[in-house]
Amino acid sequence: MVNRNVVTLLMLVFGLLCAVMLVHAQNAPEASERGKEVYEQSCAHCHGTEGRGDGSAAENLLPKPRDFTRGLYKIRSTESGQLPTDQDLFDIITIGMPGSSMPGWETSLSADERWEVVAYIKTFYNGFKESEAPPRQISLEGKIAYSEQSVETGKELYVELGCVECHGNVGRGDGTSAPTLTDEWGFQTWPANLAQSWNFRGGADTEAIFKRFIGGIAGSPMPAFEGDSFLHFGLSVEESKRLTELENKDEMTEVEETESEKFYEKMDVAVDLALNRAEGIELTAAEQQTYDDAMKVVYEKSWHLANYVKSLAPEERPEPAIGKNVLRSQYVQGELPGMEDTAWEVLQSRHFPLVGQVVIEPRQFNPTIDSVNIKSFYNDTEVAFLFMWDDRTHTTGDEIDESTGKPLEDALAIQFPVKVPQGPTAPKPYFLWGGRLPVYLWHWKASAPEQVVEITAKGINNAEVQAAQGALQAQGAYTDGQYKLWVKRALKTDDKKDLQLEPGVFVPIAFSAWDGANGDVDTKRVVSSWYTFVLEPVPSSRRFVYPPLIAVLSLGLLFGLRAVVQRRNS
Amino acid sequence: MKRLSLFTICLIILIGSWVVLRFAIGGIVSVPIPGSVIAMYMGLIIIAVLVHISVEDSLFREFLRPIHETLVDNNLRVRRRVIAVLIPLFLLGYTHSIIAQRANPPGSPRDAHPSPPLELTYKDEVIGTMQDVVNPFRHYEKDDPEAFKAHVENGRRVYYDNCFYCHGDHLDGQAHFAPYLQPLPANFQDPGIIPNFQESFFFWRIAKGGPGLPAAGTPWDSAMPIWENYLTKDEIWDVILFLSDYTGYQPRTFGEAH
Repeated sequence: MVNRNVVTLLMLVFGLLCAVMLVHAQNAPEASERGKEVYEQSCAHCHGTEGRGDGSAAENLLPKPRDFTRGLYKIRSTESGQLPTDQDLFDIITIGMPGSSMPGWETSLSADERWEVVAYIKTFYNGFKESEAPPRQISLEGKIAYSEQSVETGKELYVELGCVECHGNVGRGDGTSAPTLTDEWGFQTWPANLAQSWNFRGGADTEAIFKRFIGGIAGSPMPAFEGDSFLHFGLSVEESKRLTELENKDEMTEVEETESEKFYEKMDVAVDLALNRAEGIELTAAEQQTYDDAMKVVYEKSWHLANYVKSLAPEERPEPAIGKNVLRSQYVQGELPGMEDTAWEVLQSRHFPLVGQVVIEPRQFNPTIDSVNIKSFYNDTEVAFLFMWDDRTHTTGDEIDESTGKPLEDALAIQFPVKVPQGPTAPKPYFLWGGRLPVYLWHWKASAPEQVVEITAKGINNAEVQAAQGALQAQGAYTDGQYKLWVKRALKTDDKKDLQLEPGVFVPIAFSAWDGANGDVDTKRVVSSWYTFVLEPVPSSRRFVYPPLIAVLSLGLLFGLRAVVQRRNS
Repeated sequence: MKRLSLFTICLIILIGSWVVLRFAIGGIVSVPIPGSVIAMYMGLIIIAVLVHISVEDSLFREFLRPIHETLVDNNLRVRRRVIAVLIPLFLLGYTHSIIAQRANPPGSPRDAHPSPPLELTYKDEVIGTMQDVVNPFRHYEKDDPEAFKAHVENGRRVYYDNCFYCHGDHLDGQAHFAPYLQPLPANFQDPGIIPNFQESFFFWRIAKGGPGLPAAGTPWDSAMPIWENYLTKDEIWDVILFLSDYTGYQPRTFGEAH
C-alpha cells in the first residue's frame, strides 16, 4: 500500500518535472542574444519586435513585412504545407526579395549574424520546435529542359490550369480576378506580372518558378499544385485529356457517363490521400504509390509551365535608359509610322524605371507601375513617340477617390523643360513638375485615349492647362495588361510655352504615371527623376569622305618612303 | 634559333607594355587605368626606346634595317604587300570609328558637397548661424544615456517611416527606390559623408531638400524632399542622431579648441 502511494507520488513529481521542462524548453529561445540584438537593430522596424510584421514602417509597405508568428513563408524549397528549411530563410535574408522593400543583407550582416537571425526568427513560431522530422523538400529530379515544344505545352497548361484568371492572357498579372485578391492577413495583393521576372520575390530561374508551383506561395492566393488545387489531380495526362473531352460534350452517352464517373472517383481518392498526407497521416505503401503517381503528373506539367513562364520575360531587367542606353529618336524620311505600324518593330525600346512619389502628400509608397518603355522616330518636321507600360487594370475614372473627390484613373504624363538647359552646368527644372523653372507636359488619361493635353507647370500643385491646344496627335489602347500610347507633335511650334525640338540636342525628359486601381490620384503616383533623349542626328556624310582619304594618303606615304629608301640605296 | 631583330624587340616591348598597363595592372591588379594615363606612360616608354636606339649610330642602323629591307628587298614582297594593305585598312577603320561616334548625353559636373547658407532656418524661423548651431539632444549622450537612447529610437522611427525608401535599410543609399534616381541618394555609410559635416549641415539638407540647394554648383537634380514640410524640428534632430548612431560615424564638431 505504502509502496504504491510512493510510486504514484514519484510519478506525479516526475510528470510535473517533465511538464515544467517542456514549457521551459518552449519558452527558452535557442537563439543567442546576438540574434535578438541583430534582429532588433536591423529587422524590427518592419517585422516588429514580436515578429508580427507590425513594425513602425509596416504601415506604409505593401507587400507587408512577413508576420513570423504564423510560420507561413512564401519562398521555400519545401513541399506544400511544410515549413521552410533554415537554408531557405538564410537565402532570403541574404538575397532579399526583389520587387518588395526587403533588401539583401549580405553586405551589412556577416554570415554568422544572418544565421543567428534565422535561429531567432524561428523562435516566433512554435511549429519549428514541435516538428520533429525535417521539412520535406521539393525534388528537382526529372527537370524538363527548356525547349520550344515544352514552352508550347506549358502555354496550353497555363490556360487549362486556370493561371489566366489571375495572371492574365499573356501573364502581365491582369487576369479578371487580379483586383480582388487578398492575402492570409486580409491585405490586398497583386498577382505577379510574369513579364517582369526581375520582380519575382524568389528569383526567376526555372527551378525557382517550379518550386513556387509545387510548394505554393504560402499566405498568398497562389496555391500549391496538389490535391484539389490542381486540375484533374490523380489522372494521367491522357486520362485528363479524355475527361476534358468528355466534359466539353453537350451530352454524354451512358457509357461515357460511367467512364467519367470512374475518373472522378480516381481523383477523389488522390485528393483524399493528399489531404491525409498533409495532416501527417501515414500512407500505406499502395496509397503512397497512388499519391506518387498523381504527383508525377503534377511535376511533369509544372516543368512545362515553368518553361512557359520563363519564356514570358527577358532574361534580366533591361538596362535603364541612361548613358549609352539613352533614348535616341531615329530619323526617317517621309511619313512617321502610326501606332500599329510594323515599322516600330525595327527599333529596340528604351527602358525607364519609375519609383513611388514620396515627396509630397498624398504619397505613393507601394507603386504598381514598374517602368515605361519608349520608342521614337522623327522626320524633318515631326516627332512620334510610342510609350508602353504595364498596368494590371484598365481604370477609366468610374470610381471616385474619397479623400480628393477626383476620379481614379490610369494616366501618363511626359515632362520636358520649357527650355532645354544650355550647357552641362545649367540647372534643370525641379524633377517634380518644375518649380522656379517651368516644365512643359503632355498629359494623357485613359478616359480620353485620343487626347493629350498640353500643360505648363511650376510645381506639382501649380499646373496650368495651356490655352493653345491641338498641337498634338495621340492614340492610346489597352490590351492584355499593357498600355500603348502613340503621340505625334511638330518639332517646332508657334507657342512660346512649348518645348522646341532640334536634332542633336539632349533634352531632359521625365515621367509621372497613375494606376487608378492602386489608388493613384493627384500627387499619389509613380515618377522618375530626369532622364534624357535626343533626336539622333543623321550621321554626317563626312564619314564616307575622310577615312578613305586618310587610307589613300597613308598608302601614298608608304610608297613615297619606299622611293626615298630606294633612291638612297642606289 | 634566329636572333630577334632590334626592331622586333622594340615592337615587343611597346606592345607588351601596353598589354601590361591595359589588362594586367589595370584590371587584374587594380581598377582599369584611364586611357590618358596609359597614353602618358606609353609616351615615356616610346621616348626611352628611342633614346636607347639612337645612342649609337650602329644601333640605330640596326634598328632601321628591317624597315629598309621590308621596303625594298624583293624577297620580302609578300610582307610588303600585306603591310601596304593592313596599315591603310587600319587607319580607314580607325578614322571611321572616330567620325561615326555618337554623341553621348552630357555628364553632370556636380560639386560633391554644396555650400550651406550662413544662417540655419526651419521654415522661416531662424535657429542660429550654421557655424554655431548644435544638436540640442546631442548632450544627452553624456548627460542622460536613457534620454539619448529614446531620441535615437525616435530617429529610427522617423527614418523608417520616411527616409528608408531611398536611403535604404543599410543607410547606404541602395534602397528599392534608389537605383533609378539620378543622382543617387546619399550613402551615410561612406566615411566621407557624416564625419565631414556639422549636424547643422545635415539639418539644413534635410529641412530644405533638393529645392533648397544653392544656385552655385548646379545642376543638383536632387530628388530629396523638403522635409520641414513634414517633420518637426525635433524629429529632424532625432533622425540625425540615429544616422550617426547606426553608422558609428560622429558628425564634425568644433569643440573647446575654438
